[in-house]
Amino acid sequence: MPTRRQPAQSATTNADPKAAPNARAAGGRRASAKPDVRGVGPRGRISADDPRVTLEQEIGSDLYEPIPPFPIKTEREGEFYSLRDGEIFLNIGPHHPATHGVLRLVLKLSGEQIVDVDPVIGYLHRGVEKICENSDYYHVIDQVDPLEYLSSLFQEWPAVMAFEKLMDVEVPRRAEYIRVLTGELLRISSHTLYMGFMALDLGGLTPILYSFIERDEIVEMLASITGARMLFNYYRIGGVNGDLNHEFMSRLGDWMSRAGKQAEAITALLNENEIFLRRMRDVGTMDRATALRYGVTGANIRACGVPFDLRRAHPYSVYPEIDFNIPTREEGDSLARYLMRVDEIKESIRIIDQCLHQMPDGPIMAKLPRLLRPRPGRAWAAVEAPRGSLGVYAMSDGTDQPFRFRIHDPSFMHLGVVPHMLPGNLLADTMAIVSSLDPVMGGVDR
Amino acid sequence: MTALMRTMETVRGRVAAAVRSYAWDHLTLAERVVYLAGPVLLLGLGFAAVFGYWAGGPVVDFVAGRLGIVRFFVSVTAILLLTVPTAFVIIYMELKVIARMNLRVGPNRVGPFGAVMSVIHGLKVLSKEDFAPTGVDLGVFTLAPLITFLASVMTLLVVPFAPALVGQDLNIGLLYFFALGGLTVVGLLMAGWASFNKYSLLGGLRSAAQIVSYEIPLTLSVVGVIILAGTMSLNHIVAAQSGSALDWFVFKQPLAALIFFIAATAEANRTPFDMTEADSEIVAGFATEYSGMRFGFFFFAEYVNVFIVSALTATLFFGGWTAPFDSPVHVNLNWFDPFSISAPVWGAIVLSVLWFGTLFLALVVRLLGGRSWGVIDSLALGGLLLVLGLAGLIGLAAFISIDWIRDLSWFMAKTYVFVFTFVWMRATLPRVRIDQLMGFAWKWLLPASLLNLFVTATAVVLLNR
Repeated sequence: MPTRRQPAQSATTNADPKAAPNARAAGGRRASAKPDVRGVGPRGRISADDPRVTLEQEIGSDLYEPIPPFPIKTEREGEFYSLRDGEIFLNIGPHHPATHGVLRLVLKLSGEQIVDVDPVIGYLHRGVEKICENSDYYHVIDQVDPLEYLSSLFQEWPAVMAFEKLMDVEVPRRAEYIRVLTGELLRISSHTLYMGFMALDLGGLTPILYSFIERDEIVEMLASITGARMLFNYYRIGGVNGDLNHEFMSRLGDWMSRAGKQAEAITALLNENEIFLRRMRDVGTMDRATALRYGVTGANIRACGVPFDLRRAHPYSVYPEIDFNIPTREEGDSLARYLMRVDEIKESIRIIDQCLHQMPDGPIMAKLPRLLRPRPGRAWAAVEAPRGSLGVYAMSDGTDQPFRFRIHDPSFMHLGVVPHMLPGNLLADTMAIVSSLDPVMGGVDR
Repeated sequence: MTALMRTMETVRGRVAAAVRSYAWDHLTLAERVVYLAGPVLLLGLGFAAVFGYWAGGPVVDFVAGRLGIVRFFVSVTAILLLTVPTAFVIIYMELKVIARMNLRVGPNRVGPFGAVMSVIHGLKVLSKEDFAPTGVDLGVFTLAPLITFLASVMTLLVVPFAPALVGQDLNIGLLYFFALGGLTVVGLLMAGWASFNKYSLLGGLRSAAQIVSYEIPLTLSVVGVIILAGTMSLNHIVAAQSGSALDWFVFKQPLAALIFFIAATAEANRTPFDMTEADSEIVAGFATEYSGMRFGFFFFAEYVNVFIVSALTATLFFGGWTAPFDSPVHVNLNWFDPFSISAPVWGAIVLSVLWFGTLFLALVVRLLGGRSWGVIDSLALGGLLLVLGLAGLIGLAAFISIDWIRDLSWFMAKTYVFVFTFVWMRATLPRVRIDQLMGFAWKWLLPASLLNLFVTATAVVLLNR
């Protein structure tokens, strides 16, 4: 989208959806007369989206119509931004109670029914990947930390893994076990929070507060070794920053003694609730082929019956030494995606239990120089984050800064399926579908 | 001479200064109001006294000749005044009860246990700017909250709080209730349309669809009760349930009671049927563009609605103001004639009870509380305890022996049980979807209420033959 808009020639009310792109393509100049008044289109439309609309101008009833990105670049855009009889646009977001951050969904509605949807992202874009290319290897961890803000350890993990591959660093086994242990704890925290927000988006007020109890216990636990509750900044290239301590172990033991029961209590409020089940069942069904084509990963693809889990498919860290199941479900609807998280919590508790039993003694950091200068090369590392496979591609040119740094975020891939799942559903299903995919906008926009 | 003149000058200067400082220009707004209102009030009082002396008889005759209208105005005023504390109590209940169910503390800063929180909320909306966004249809936008509020408040007119405590004992009380209750949707629709906002529009349309659909099972479920009671006057319906708890219509019309409660939940826009203000979908529905006292009216109307549907559930199916069982204790207050004792003796009795009671209780506090309770503290607490105790005793005596207080207490207790149920549901249940909501009304509630009506009518015909 160009930063500075031309005088608004809106295709919103064009009868022929293809007129605008064609006119643009034909001569490079618009056929319609150039409007005199700034901000007023050829049909007298004024839009608040136009930066040159001033307060003195009289505002018509079209004020809140979204105008398309101008000039219209694709046929799809032209088709979307033309309304048929009885249809309206509804702009959900970027600030809306149910969009989990700054996701903007431009819905085309016919009554309550969704006809079409255009997800707009980028409201949280800060160019983190570029910032990472300008900071040295140690500082990359701080930069990527806040992207996946609900489970920030998982954002650090692939980054440090990629750098370890670049530098051929052998990570001590104890450090790997600590990574798995803390990661799985955070996975539970993230999934519990997901269940609460799922209920909140469907109108249930209480489960979110029960979720936060669980999350609070876990982040307090992690705070005792990392010093932070949300952005931990804990994994290091070649190990972790700080060993497990007494406070962590006592909190963990305390929590483990009731973890299973507590998760049950949270879900009991929802899983046996007929209203909740009816809102979730057969809503936003994603079939296997679509899921595979769009690169859906994590719990969302396992809910479609594909047992794909990076911890098994491309084993990393110490996961080969740990025994756990990969739960799958066949339905592929919102309820299946929700129940997948419930199942994964149980598996994570098992993994934590095994970690505690198998954890060896030893160092937690590899010996590394102060200034990291890996040989030129490239590395790809991916982990199974709570939202799916989270990957990092790093390229070194021999200096102390990564030459290229790219993040593959699962939430971004999942949002791509939203336009295919929403049409035909009702407005209220938007929340059941988008929330069940569990996007985190920090990771999407980067 | 000069000294005298100097003194005179000084005095004149002071007087002038005094006059200047109290001059009209230097008064604050409040002082001006007082200076103006004082004489006006005095004049008015005097005029009223003269007028009353001169035309008292005719005025009394005039009022007596139109007792119906006078009663109407008085009861409407009382009901309007009643809505304020009712809404405050229910809002406080909602804050506190939902907080406890969420394992939170809830408001605990303003007043004892945060009890004044809802009053503060009320003052807050009152003090906000009266704001209307660009593009709204200002007339409709302004009228909408008033219509919604008045429509809900006016339905209280026929609710019998006690046999004599009823605004208007209409013989078509239930019809009146449904007619005015249906007006609420007009206000919501107006708000949705006039707000110039698509979320509001969707909310307004949802409320129209929802309330119109649920009116039908709501009304049909009550017909069984009307057949059984043989009247539409709410007071007579309650009287038909008097006796013990087994005479309540909920035992004769259990299905109707269930349908009524579900439909009433939808009618009051409460969870799980709060489609009109589904915050995770359409932000705040029809109220999205409202703020300040305009929003306050919607807010009040919602909680008054909760009270009304709870009151009506209690009235129609749970015996209203009738006691569920006969009181085991009967106290007859007539054995004692308060006028047989002269005023000075009364004064002595009251003073001595207050004085010695306070002293006694203060002593108890001081003995039990230890050294941390000083003389003043224990006296204050003793006095407080005495007043509370006396109030409790008098209340208990009134409850046992004065009919309308007892009836009112039972009515309020039953009503607030249902209010609590509404709050409880809000804390527990997620929201249904609009198509499920409509499907439920037309596919399940409507046939069920028709079936209930059919069975009731058949039974009445067969048994009365």
